[in-house]
Amino acid sequence: MNSSEGFIFDIYRGTTHDGPGMRTTVFFKGCPLHCAWCHNPESISLNQQIWWEQMQCIGCGECEKACSLSAVKLTETGVKFDRDKCVLCGGCAKVCPTKAISFVGRNVTVDALFKEVKKYQAYYKTYGGGVTASGGEPLLQHTFVKNLFELAHEEGIHTALDTSGAVSFDAFEEVLPFTDCVLYDIKTVDKNLHKEYIGSDNKLILDNILKIAENIRNGEKYELWIRTPLIPLFTASEQNISEIAVFIKENLMDVISRWEMCTFNKACLNKYERLDLNWKCKDAPVIRSSDIENIKKTVENTGFDMNKLVISGLIAD
Amino acid sequence: MSKIRNDYKVDFVPGERLKKVIDYNQELAYTGKRNLYTADTTQLVYHWTDKSNGVVPRTGEWSYPPEMNLSLGDHGCRVDNGQDFPRYDEVPSHVKGYEATPESWAEDYSFLLENTPVSINPYESIVGEFHWEMNEVRKYYFGDHVHELGREVRKLGAGGTSHGHTCPDFNIGLTQGWGGILKRIEESLKLYERLEQAEKVGYLRGLKIVCQAIIDYIKKYADAAAKLAEEEKDAEQKALYELIASDCAYIAENPPATYHQAIQWLQFAIMTDRIVGHGNGYGRLDLYLNDFYQKDIKEGRITRQDAREYLAEMFLKIRGQHFSIGGRLKDGSDASNEMSFVILESYDMIDDYNNLFLMWHKDIDPKLMDYACDVLARHGASVPSMANYDLLVDCQLRSGVDPDIAWNVAVSGCQWFCLPGREYCDQDVNALVLLDPMWRAIDRGIEENITDFERLMELFTEEFKNTSEALRVFKDAQYDVLDKVWPEMATSLNCHGPIERGVDMTGARGVDYQYTSTNILGIPNVADSLFAIKKLVFEEGAYTLAEVRKATDENWKDNEVMRQRFLRQNKFGNDIDDVDELCVRICDIIADILDATKNNRGQQYRASLFQFQGHTCTDVLPATPDGRLAEEPLAHGCNPTAGRNVNGLLATANSVTKIKNYKFQGGSLQVELQPKFFDGKENIGQYIKNFTEAFFARGAFQINLNIIDLEKLKDAIDDPNNPEYRNIIVKVTGYTTRFICMAKPFQIEFVGRNNYESI
Repeated sequence: MNSSEGFIFDIYRGTTHDGPGMRTTVFFKGCPLHCAWCHNPESISLNQQIWWEQMQCIGCGECEKACSLSAVKLTETGVKFDRDKCVLCGGCAKVCPTKAISFVGRNVTVDALFKEVKKYQAYYKTYGGGVTASGGEPLLQHTFVKNLFELAHEEGIHTALDTSGAVSFDAFEEVLPFTDCVLYDIKTVDKNLHKEYIGSDNKLILDNILKIAENIRNGEKYELWIRTPLIPLFTASEQNISEIAVFIKENLMDVISRWEMCTFNKACLNKYERLDLNWKCKDAPVIRSSDIENIKKTVENTGFDMNKLVISGLIAD
Repeated sequence: MSKIRNDYKVDFVPGERLKKVIDYNQELAYTGKRNLYTADTTQLVYHWTDKSNGVVPRTGEWSYPPEMNLSLGDHGCRVDNGQDFPRYDEVPSHVKGYEATPESWAEDYSFLLENTPVSINPYESIVGEFHWEMNEVRKYYFGDHVHELGREVRKLGAGGTSHGHTCPDFNIGLTQGWGGILKRIEESLKLYERLEQAEKVGYLRGLKIVCQAIIDYIKKYADAAAKLAEEEKDAEQKALYELIASDCAYIAENPPATYHQAIQWLQFAIMTDRIVGHGNGYGRLDLYLNDFYQKDIKEGRITRQDAREYLAEMFLKIRGQHFSIGGRLKDGSDASNEMSFVILESYDMIDDYNNLFLMWHKDIDPKLMDYACDVLARHGASVPSMANYDLLVDCQLRSGVDPDIAWNVAVSGCQWFCLPGREYCDQDVNALVLLDPMWRAIDRGIEENITDFERLMELFTEEFKNTSEALRVFKDAQYDVLDKVWPEMATSLNCHGPIERGVDMTGARGVDYQYTSTNILGIPNVADSLFAIKKLVFEEGAYTLAEVRKATDENWKDNEVMRQRFLRQNKFGNDIDDVDELCVRICDIIADILDATKNNRGQQYRASLFQFQGHTCTDVLPATPDGRLAEEPLAHGCNPTAGRNVNGLLATANSVTKIKNYKFQGGSLQVELQPKFFDGKENIGQYIKNFTEAFFARGAFQINLNIIDLEKLKDAIDDPNNPEYRNIIVKVTGYTTRFICMAKPFQIEFVGRNNYESI
C-alpha cells in the first residue's frame, strides 16, 4: 500500500498526442516556467485555484450567500472572486448547484491514481499506449511520478514523461529508470528569447537534455522525443526553428526518435477567463498550412533528417 | 500491437455504365422517393398505437395524411412513384371479403406482384423495383381483443407489433431455386392432404401461391427484357437486355448458375420479401456468394471489377438490407473469404447507402479487418458497422440455440442478430419504456412514505415485472393469431421448417427458435434518475420524493436550482463506479426478469440495450429526475445521454462494458466523431481498429461510428436542397440514411448527440 500523495489537476483518457499509442495523461499541477502561450494556465500555480465556468452559471447567487468573507459577488457579468480575500474554504463550490464553481487541483494517492490509469489497460494493449505524466512539470513531484511509473511497469504499462526539463537532474535520475519515453520540450535555444518568453534562463534545460543524451549513449533504454510548440510571434519564427534544428542535429540526432512540433491553438482561451487571467496570446494568429510548409523548408535547409520530423495539432486551413 | 497495412490498393472506380446507374439511384434517394415514414411519435416510443398497428402504409385506406408522415430516412426498398395502387378495388380480399387466413393473404400478395409493373432501366444489369407494399393493399388487424390488451399494456409502458424483423437463409433458394422450393411445397401439400390436416393444407396452398407468384414475376422480367433487346439498336445496351432476359428466364425456377445470376436472384428474393413491408436482415453475404464468385473468376466469366459492379447495383437498389460478413465457420475457423473483400470493395467504390456489418473475432483475417477499418475511416459513415461475433454466438447459446448451429448467427438488423432461416426473431418492434415502471415505483414510494432507497429499488423491480407481464400477455395474444393475420410467407420460403411442417415461421414451431426480444428505452436516464434520487433524497435529505415528482411533472418550472442539483450528480457513461454500478444493477434486473419470462411458444424473452428512435420523441416523454427537461431527448440506447459524457470516449466504452452484455440481445456504442478528433492521429484506421479490438475484448456488442463535420450537418438542416449535402450519409442508429432525408426533429437530435471532437 503506497499512500504518498500527488497534486494533479486533470486526467485525460484516450489521448494520442502525448506519446506513442493511446494513453492516459495525468496533468500535474505546478510549473517552474511561465510561458507566455501556456495552454494550461491552471497548471502553473502550486496552489489550488478557484475555477468558474460561465457557461454553467445560472446566476442563482447561492455562492454569494455562502461566503462569510464576502469574497464572492454575483455581478451582472457573472460571479467575481476577490482572490486576495478568499481563503479557499470551498463554501461557495459546495453550494453551487451547477458546479460552475470548483477548485483546480486535487491531491491523489498513487494507488487511487494508478487504479484510474489501469482502467484503460485493454486499450493500451491493442494500441501500444500507456500512461503519460504531464503538467505543469511532473518532475516537481518526482518521487510521486517515480512511484506511479514503478506501479505501471509492474503491470507492463508503458510510461512517458512529458517534461519542460527545467528541474534539477536528480529528479530525472529518480524517474528515468521507470520511464519508457521522454517527451522533452525545447522551446528555444536562444537564452535571451527564453528569458523574454518564459521568464528564465534555459541553461538548465539544455544541460539536462545533453545529460540525458549521454545516458542513452551509455546504454540507458528509453525513447526520446523532442517537442517544440509552434507559437506564432514566439517560437514559430524561421530563425528559432532553424536554431533548434541545428542544436538537435549537432547534439541529439543519434538519440532521438522524433522531433515533434505541436501547433498553436486557442482552445485554452476560456481557461484564462475562468481564472480571471489575461492571456498574452489572445490575439496571436493561428498556424496555416503555408506556415507549415515554410517551417518544413527551414528544417530541411539545415540538413535535418526529415523522417524524424512530425507536425501535430490543428492547422487553420 | 498489429500494424494496419497501408498497402491495400484503393483505387476502385465505377465504370461508365455503373456511374449512370449510381446517378439514377442517387436521384431517387435525394428526391425522397426512398423515404420510409412513421406517422406517430408514440409509435416510435411504444412500438404500438391503437391506430397504426405498427406499420405506416404510404398509400391506401390505412395510410396517414401526408403532412403527418415523418421520414426516418431513405432506407425504403420501395420506390415511391407518387401513385396509389392502380387496381386497389380489385384486390382479392376487397372483392371476396377479408379473411384472416394464409390463403387469403397469399392471393393478395400474388395480386400485388402481378400488378407491380416491370421496370428495367437503361444501363442496369441487375433489375427489379416495386412501388407498393402489402400493407398498402391489405388490412393488418389483430382483432379487438389484441387491441384491448394493447391499450392496457400501453398504460404500463410497453407495446409491440410483431412484423418481420427476422432473417431468411438464402442458401436454401440459392441451391434449390424457386422451382425446387415449389416442388417441396407440393410434396408437403400432398402429405398433409393425405393426413387430412386442413390447417396445414390451407397454409401450404397459400405458400404455393406465393412461390408461384414470385416465379411468374421473374418470368415477366425475362419476357420484358427479351422484348427490349429485340427493339434495341445500341449493341451494348442490347447485350445488357439479353443478359437480363436470359438470367431471369433461367433463375425464375432454377438455382442460379453464375455470379451475376446469384446477385439477380438475391435482388428478386429480397424485393419480394421486402414488398411485404418489413425490415428483415438477409444473412452472411460472403458465404452466400463466394462459390459463385470463385467459379466465375476461374472460368473467366467475370473480372473482379464486374463482381464489384454487379453487387454495387444490388446495394444501390435494395437499401435497408442488413448483411454480415466475417464471423466463423462451424469448425471455429475464420469464415472470411475473397468475397468478403469484394463486398467491401464494392461499397468502397460507390460510397452510398449501406448497412453492412463486419462480424469481428480475434482470429479474423487481419487484412480484412485492416481494410474494413480503412474503409470506415475514409468514408466515415459506419460502413461496416462492427459487431462482436463471439459474443453474438454466446448470446444465442444462452437463449437456447443448439451449439452445433449457433455458429451461423448473423447480424440481421440495426443491432440484433439471429440464426438465418431458423429463428423467428421478433425484435425491434417491441418496446419497454423504462420510465413508466420508475414513475410507478416513485408514486408507490410516496404513498408508502419510504425512507430507504432499497425499498425504492424493490418497488421498481416489482413494477418492471408488472410491465413485462402485461407485455407477455399482449404478445401471446398477437402470437395466437399472427400466422393468420400477417404470416411471413415470403420469408418462410427460405426457412428451415415451414414447408415440411406446414406451419408459417410466425406460427408455433414453424421454425425452431421463436424468442421475443424487446427494446428497453431509457436505461441510462433511469439509472441517472435513481442515482440522483438516492443521493439527494435518501442520503442528503435535501428533497422529498413528492417534491421530485412534482418538480418533474411541472418540467422543473421555477425549480432551476433543484434541477441543476439533480443534473450535476454523477452520470452513467463516465466510468464512475457508483452510478455505473446502479446502471448495471438495473440492467441485471431487466435481463433476469425477462430471462424468466416465456412466450406461449415456451421460448424466452430477451432484453435489448437499444431503441432506435424512441429517445427523440420528446412530445411523449416527460421530464425525468436526472435533471432532463421534457424537451430534451433521452439517452440513445445504452449510450450516455447527450452532453453527459465528460470523461471522453474511453470512459463511455468502459461504462458500457460494465453491463453484462451477454445477457442482452444487442446494443451498440454509437460514436459520432468530428474530423478534428483525429488531429495528430497518424492513421485513423489504426485508431478505429485498436479501439474496436480492445472494446470487443471487453465484451461489447457493436460500434456504429460516424466521422462527421457537425457544422456541415447543421448547414444541411437549413439548406437541404444544396447539392453539396445530397449524399451525406450517416448511421443514425443501426440503420443508415442520407442526412437530408430525415425529418427535421431527427436531424436536430442527431446533431445534438455526444460529439467527440477531442478525447
